Amino acid sequence: MNTLTDEQLLERFPGTRIDHDNKAFYRGLLNRQLLIDRCGDCGHWFHPPRPICPKCWSRDIRPTAVSGRGHIHLLILLHQGPSAPGVRYDTPHPVATIELEEQSGLRFTSTIVGSDNAALKIGLPVELSWIDRGANPVPAFKLSGASQ
Amino acid sequence: MSVRYPIKDQVAFASAATTPFSKTSNERTQAGMAIDACVAAIRAAGLGAADIDGISGSGTSPEAKWMQSALGIPRITWWQNPSLTGTFATTIYEAMHAVYSGACSTVLCYHAAYRLPWQSRAAAADAMRRRVGELTGMMGAVDPETMGGSVGYTAWASRYLYEYGRRREDLGMVAINSRSNALRNEHAVINTPLTMDDYLQGRMIRNPLCVYDMDVAIDGADAFIVTTAERARDMALRPVLINAAASGMVANNDEDQLPGLHQHGQQIVVEEMKRRGDFWIDDVDLYYPYDGFSMLTLAWIENIGLCRPGEAGDFMREHWDWAQQRVLLRGRVPFNSHGGSLSEGATQGSGHIREAVMQLQGRAGSHQVDGASKALLTIGGFFFNAQALSLHTV
Repeated sequence: MNTLTDEQLLERFPGTRIDHDNKAFYRGLLNRQLLIDRCGDCGHWFHPPRPICPKCWSRDIRPTAVSGRGHIHLLILLHQGPSAPGVRYDTPHPVATIELEEQSGLRFTSTIVGSDNAALKIGLPVELSWIDRGANPVPAFKLSGASQ
Repeated sequence: MSVRYPIKDQVAFASAATTPFSKTSNERTQAGMAIDACVAAIRAAGLGAADIDGISGSGTSPEAKWMQSALGIPRITWWQNPSLTGTFATTIYEAMHAVYSGACSTVLCYHAAYRLPWQSRAAAADAMRRRVGELTGMMGAVDPETMGGSVGYTAWASRYLYEYGRRREDLGMVAINSRSNALRNEHAVINTPLTMDDYLQGRMIRNPLCVYDMDVAIDGADAFIVTTAERARDMALRPVLINAAASGMVANNDEDQLPGLHQHGQQIVVEEMKRRGDFWIDDVDLYYPYDGFSMLTLAWIENIGLCRPGEAGDFMREHWDWAQQRVLLRGRVPFNSHGGSLSEGATQGSGHIREAVMQLQGRAGSHQVDGASKALLTIGGFFFNAQALSLHTV
């Protein structure tokens, strides 16, 4: 497991707004774990990280690994966008919001790898598939049953 | 349930003014444009600096304290620069509430749009703007994988086309409508016609939205005088009363966590406006369904009840004037009569409000709608800026 200090964690994510409420999420990424906040009292999942459960106001927040399975809820193709290592826009870059199987309405936004853009459709099932960007693992998704 | 809305018709626009809009190289500064619009608005109302006792500027414009000194306004008792997380309507709401509460009597309101280096090649070529951009500090790290900010509208446009089985031509109707209105408005920055073929061949930016679905960044400013309805009657121009105003927002409002197309801020705004105001779409001469993104106009048309969800494109075709290439509801009510953010220029809503006030004062020039006395404005998007105003003259 990754046991970086807070200072070391911040160095791994320059320019990202990391604080004590969301640092577990970013530590999880470095361990190739997608940790989503879950309430220790009522079991409600929520994202992005917050210091309170929006459903029962418990402060017992537990960043918890999800299965990584879900389906595409929102889908766009960027023909231009921010520069990032390994991201080229000559082939449009897909960005998808995945509705995670753990709870209706619980969503996580990333990219989809391993398929032609023409194969991507809202509603299709996906699963987590980690990629590397610079020195950091990034949680991406692939169509269920696709290789990579 | 009885409606508690005591501010109805108590606050008015006494004037509105604007500056030339530009989307090409120029040496105008944001502060200079804000000043030009403010001086014009104060003079149009027949006022001087000493008559202003409140200042409400948008959060991205020069600060109220700077404007007071620059304009030599001797004494004010209230000021605010609300965030543009909402639209420019927030800046007007703040002024309304300050006037109604008694914190001040006559408020100068303004918004100056200014292209920063990341918004256009022409802006990036201007060394002075690069310095402004560095100091504004909005160039932090952003990953491509976000639905945050303006990307979110593309995401929900994609979802809209999917849920209702619609095609991009529906979005194209909005772009053409705004463009055709802009052709009638000499103030608009774009003055070339747009056809559906042009639209469908438009450069894709974020599929399914192309360059014609996104508002055009400009340099330019709008300004307003907001005061009590009673005081406005003693000023130089016809008062435009604010009959109702509303904002709406739901949890979760994060772009990618929004409950859905049927459950966001716009539905709340419509419900509140109907409760608070005295008139609605069937009664108005002018309608402004915000078009910062083409998708938003379709959403507003549906959410105010003109047609069922998913049918706004068909509605626009049914009410389309084919000779004029724009919507004319009941054969006479234009939608975004000035060309909107898509073709007059992106103002985060101040252009829609300025146009409505000018129309209702009979000061819209080449594109004046004869006898216009009532306007409905539904401004903003889904997440944290759904807003509306209904305006009228009496």
